[in-house]
Amino acid sequence: MTRAGESRNPQLRRAAGYYQGLFRAMGSPCELLVDTKNEKLAQKLLRLVAAEAWRVEDKFSRYLPGNIIAKINESDGQAVTVDDETANLLDFSATLYELSERRFDITSGVLRKVWIFDGSDRVPTAESIRQIMDSIGWHRVSWQRPRIRLQPGMQIDLGGIGKEYAVDRAAARISPVTSCPCLINFGGDLVASGDVRQPDGWQVGIESPDSEGSAKKLIALRTGALATSGDARRFLLKDGIRYGHILNPQTGWPIEHAPDSVTVAADTCTQAGMLTTLAMLNGANAEAFLEQQNVQFWCLRQKSESSRSRL
Amino acid sequence: MSKQNSRSIAASLATAACSLLGTSTISPVQAQEEPDWDFNTALLYYGESDNRVQDFSLNVLARRIYVDDRILSLGLTVDALTGATPSGALPFDGPQTFTRPSGKATYTTAPNEIPLDDSFLDTRVALTAGWQQPLARLYSINAGVSASKEYDYVHLGANAGLARDFNKRNTTLSLGVAYSQDSLNPEGGAPVPLSAMLDVGDLSNRMGDQDKDVVDLVLGLTQVVSRDLLFQFNYSLSQSSGYLTDPFKFLSLVDPVTGDPVSHTPAPGERGPSHENRFESRPDERTKHSVYGQAKYYMSGKVLDLSYRYMTDDWEIDSHTLEARYRWPFGDRSYLEPHVRWYTQTAADFYRISLVDGAPPLEFASADYRLGEFDAITLGMKYGWTTRSDNEMSVRLEYYMQDGSAPSDQIIGNQVGRELYPDLDAIIAQFSYRF
Repeated sequence: MTRAGESRNPQLRRAAGYYQGLFRAMGSPCELLVDTKNEKLAQKLLRLVAAEAWRVEDKFSRYLPGNIIAKINESDGQAVTVDDETANLLDFSATLYELSERRFDITSGVLRKVWIFDGSDRVPTAESIRQIMDSIGWHRVSWQRPRIRLQPGMQIDLGGIGKEYAVDRAAARISPVTSCPCLINFGGDLVASGDVRQPDGWQVGIESPDSEGSAKKLIALRTGALATSGDARRFLLKDGIRYGHILNPQTGWPIEHAPDSVTVAADTCTQAGMLTTLAMLNGANAEAFLEQQNVQFWCLRQKSESSRSRL
Repeated sequence: MSKQNSRSIAASLATAACSLLGTSTISPVQAQEEPDWDFNTALLYYGESDNRVQDFSLNVLARRIYVDDRILSLGLTVDALTGATPSGALPFDGPQTFTRPSGKATYTTAPNEIPLDDSFLDTRVALTAGWQQPLARLYSINAGVSASKEYDYVHLGANAGLARDFNKRNTTLSLGVAYSQDSLNPEGGAPVPLSAMLDVGDLSNRMGDQDKDVVDLVLGLTQVVSRDLLFQFNYSLSQSSGYLTDPFKFLSLVDPVTGDPVSHTPAPGERGPSHENRFESRPDERTKHSVYGQAKYYMSGKVLDLSYRYMTDDWEIDSHTLEARYRWPFGDRSYLEPHVRWYTQTAADFYRISLVDGAPPLEFASADYRLGEFDAITLGMKYGWTTRSDNEMSVRLEYYMQDGSAPSDQIIGNQVGRELYPDLDAIIAQFSYRF
């Protein structure tokens, strides 16, 4: 969830009716919108939000050496004692593993070693996938708070939670400071915090999967969060078969017929993000799954789209 | 995920997220998909007193707002006009018979009544299309086309504009140009200016189709003074050329002593006018300048909107318009908005209540009451409310009173005491719905 060498220099500018702060974290463009005329306040909030994003990134990115994730992944079968925040995230991951009937698995990140979704036809061999499958499965992990022990060769990756978690954390950092309307957006996962922006909240566009930059739907977000999962640009194509980038940890193969993009509205960004991920893991049944959850969602597929709003 | 379990996933997830984030003060999500299209519809009734013009108008404006503030708008207006309108002829104490504009029949006005042309019946359909989008960081551009069609009238128009923001977007300068071309094809043809009204069937004074072009230029400045105060100033220049005459308007030819219309005897066996009338004639150029200033003042939900316009043209019409609106919200979802407008204009230099028999010929003359000197007051009230599904509705009721006078130096003999300027009262009622 990070790229080395990203500049850590937030930029603030005045836009029409609000301040916009921009920075990069977790490999994504991040944005803070503040509905205020007070530049000092906007500057302060931007510093807080960026600092929180980078703190979460530094602590939990699997790409960075020396952090708690690296320590766990390099433990070679030894138990590692973790701090409270890490333990909370591991508890949460364990809950998701159960809720998803083992399809959400933080040990599945190693599949990325063989699956590289660069638009090419380099689909890994069944044999290489089978070998990797031996080091996947949360049920093989011994987790008894606060001690975690992985089997040698296994790794964990909190990338599936980190960005949404960072958004909610950043919102919690600024809420004691101000109640003015803010929108925190880390690479498309976002939360509206503070008072409701008048008159209709924040306008959020959902990108259409086949065209970059031109939104297909506009959503007015008054309170709560929106998260989006899906990236139509990440796939492999071989012998006429399209392999999407959502992998099934139980088989090591891509989930078939997953939507191109799923957006869910929920009270927190973490909830919204997990619902999008679980919907994706349901493949062709993504919409049916979300309907059962009685949440507002917007699914985009190449040829059709479906959405349902709670009445 | 089996169906039995999946129902509870969102709830379990909420609990898990709550303990992960350690927060309890989370406000529930409120998100709403913005409709792709936004429709503004209005039904308007305009009714003049004494069975004069009545207009039912249906207006639909559809807007599609894309991200990045690009806006497509499409408009449709359908008007159904009926009723009668003053022809320009003077009332007098005997009956008057006139040839209809089509030249195919006559109609008669009772003694002392203002002659009205009651063959006024038309349906107008108008279409507009517009596009607006930002250009670079501080600019925005817009362009549009319009077309309308009536029985004897076709309008085609195009417009374009450019705006630039300054001063942290508190100042906006805008420039707009519009061009329109109208063509007029009245039944039987447009009459030759100042020619006599002829007997039924005689179309020897009729001309073919007539055209006019209008070019408008608008320079605008919008200034946000503070969070509560906004000013707008416009200067506009409008240049019309071509056939600017109203082919349905004429003047009475009157006796220089009595002021009564000179009588006319139709040719033997023909029907025709009982008195002499001359079709009006206007210059074929008109240049208007106008300046407009508006202030909007926001006071915790209440809005005071004041505006003033001054217009002057080379027909010597000068006008002043003062307008005030006050939006007074009450409850969560409603507001009342009283409206008052005061208007005054001087007469065009060729405005005549009649033409005098034997006087030197004039190049231009019109008795159209809209070119005379008059004052008008509009009083109105609007009530608006927002429905539970956030659609906006409003009803508006207005009363318009127009009070003009004939130039005293033009009043001759028996004309004294007659109603030489047709005053006008009208009711305007509108229902609008936005969804």
